[in-house]
Amino acid sequence: MATEIGVPYLQGRGLSKSFGHVRALQAVDLDIYQHEILAIVGDNGAGKSTLTKILSGVHQPDEGELHVQGQPVRFSDSHKAREAGIATVFQNLALVDVRDVAQNLFLGREPTRMRFFVDRRKMLEDARKVIGDLRVNIPSMTVEVGQLSGGQRQSIAIGRATSQENRSIIIMDEPTAALGVKESRKVLDLILRLKESGIGIVVISHNMRHVFSVADRILVLRRGKLVGVRRKTETTPDEIVKMIVGAEIL
Amino acid sequence: MSASTEHGHDDMDAVEDVLTQALNEEIVAGTDRRETVWQRILASRDMALTAVGIGLFVFFAVTVPETFLTSTSLLNMVRNVSLIGIVAAGMAYLMIAGEIDLSVGSTLGILTIVLGVLVSRHGLNVWLAAGIVLALGAVIGAVNGLIVTRLGIPSFIVTLAMLTGYRSATLVLSEQRPWSGSGVGTFFDITGGTIAGRIPWVIVWMLVVMLLASIVLVRSRYGYHVYATGGNLEASRYSGVATGRVKLLAFAFTSFLCGLAAILLFGSLRVAEPSAGTGFEFRVIGAVIVGGVALTGGRGSVYGVFMGTIIIGMITSGLTLLGLSQHYADVATGILIVGVGAMDLLVRRAASRRLGFLDA
Repeated sequence: MATEIGVPYLQGRGLSKSFGHVRALQAVDLDIYQHEILAIVGDNGAGKSTLTKILSGVHQPDEGELHVQGQPVRFSDSHKAREAGIATVFQNLALVDVRDVAQNLFLGREPTRMRFFVDRRKMLEDARKVIGDLRVNIPSMTVEVGQLSGGQRQSIAIGRATSQENRSIIIMDEPTAALGVKESRKVLDLILRLKESGIGIVVISHNMRHVFSVADRILVLRRGKLVGVRRKTETTPDEIVKMIVGAEIL
Repeated sequence: MSASTEHGHDDMDAVEDVLTQALNEEIVAGTDRRETVWQRILASRDMALTAVGIGLFVFFAVTVPETFLTSTSLLNMVRNVSLIGIVAAGMAYLMIAGEIDLSVGSTLGILTIVLGVLVSRHGLNVWLAAGIVLALGAVIGAVNGLIVTRLGIPSFIVTLAMLTGYRSATLVLSEQRPWSGSGVGTFFDITGGTIAGRIPWVIVWMLVVMLLASIVLVRSRYGYHVYATGGNLEASRYSGVATGRVKLLAFAFTSFLCGLAAILLFGSLRVAEPSAGTGFEFRVIGAVIVGGVALTGGRGSVYGVFMGTIIIGMITSGLTLLGLSQHYADVATGILIVGVGAMDLLVRRAASRRLGFLDA
């Protein structure tokens, strides 16, 4: 397994973020490698989503630094993060329900002709290719995504991230939340396949079973602080749960 | 859930799988039937509007054939709603993007007076004055858009303030009297005149504006972003759509079309009245809503808005021909708006009930 080989693609050092008096994140370090799945776990309010939003450029850290392939970077918005190869699948706010599959896949970066008109034919072709590569079952590229199942919608959100040029890291916020058992499994399979293709993946999840079925390393946050990082092969769900709730580790 | 062994997990998974599958099949079976019905209604909103339009046409053609079914009457009917249609094309962009402009009537008013005053009091070349009015229109809209997108004040409030503000400014600027133009020359021919002997130029202008607006909305990247912005603002923003700029352009486009409407109004009447455009916003927004643009944004088409405009025109003209006063036409339009709003709500209620069923 190609874990922790070479330079981490994305590095965070001393990341801190406050919202008013709330210290959402305090001096968190993390390394994200390609070919690897890093799970971020923690209780509600532990700082998971703040951390993800910093990595994806939605929030800017008050203190601390981000490095991409060893170079210091500053993401002023999510667009900058995408340019640096970091794509994010946001929970709930990923898709435009009233638009079709193809537009959702290429939202914000539609192929154009004469830089003005959308190249609809190319967009549909590319959409079929993206969905085909993901090996998920979506019958039509022209159906409104509001009509699709939770798993299909999640696949489209992931497809949007994977089809991005130069994407090296994909961050997924609760990719299996609100999915049934079967659909969750499909999405987890998809995540594993993406890892095999060389992408580094950050998964935020509440579901310990899902975390243990895909993650290579598990990072635990508690009240905005880094509790620790464990290799999956060297830890147990019990230990992780204890780290999450802050119980004594004996 | 109690702690269980690995084996226990597998059993639990198996049971859950069976249950989920059963539920899924039930849902698919249940929604398949319903969705085809709803899909048809939603997908064919334009068809439904066309049917309503044809129905109304047939109704008036049967009840008042000798007055309704003349080319003069039909051309008048369309001409009377041409300015509404022109501005409604811009309003469609705005409302699909999730915003609204209540000030289009006052904007039309002030731009008409600016044109009249420039030409009549200052003796400015009418073409130059028209160019100034178009530019000023775009600026007025851009200001609305900047206040809405930068300061985050809802467009409903911003443009409500502009509605009264511009009307007051119009009264001050006009010295509360009409300003007339010469009424001769190419400018007046292609604004207030007719083409091919009898077709009013304003109808041609409306058709051109709506055709171009429709093509851009359906085919351009900007049009895609208008729908996306109204459909899900957050998702669009996170996907790199410049939602602020999308809205700003829609505001500017709408007010720019108010400028075009002001030019056509001045060219037709050959005079700028301080009261021009009073109540105009009601008709424009009415045409857009009747035309099937979702009040929640994200859905609608310029073709639908064209049909909405024509339907309002038919009701207004038809009822007058039936011997009823103009006031009844406004009542009928009001009823139509409420009816479409109710339909919209019913569709969405049905949709959320369906989703509730999925969650269960």
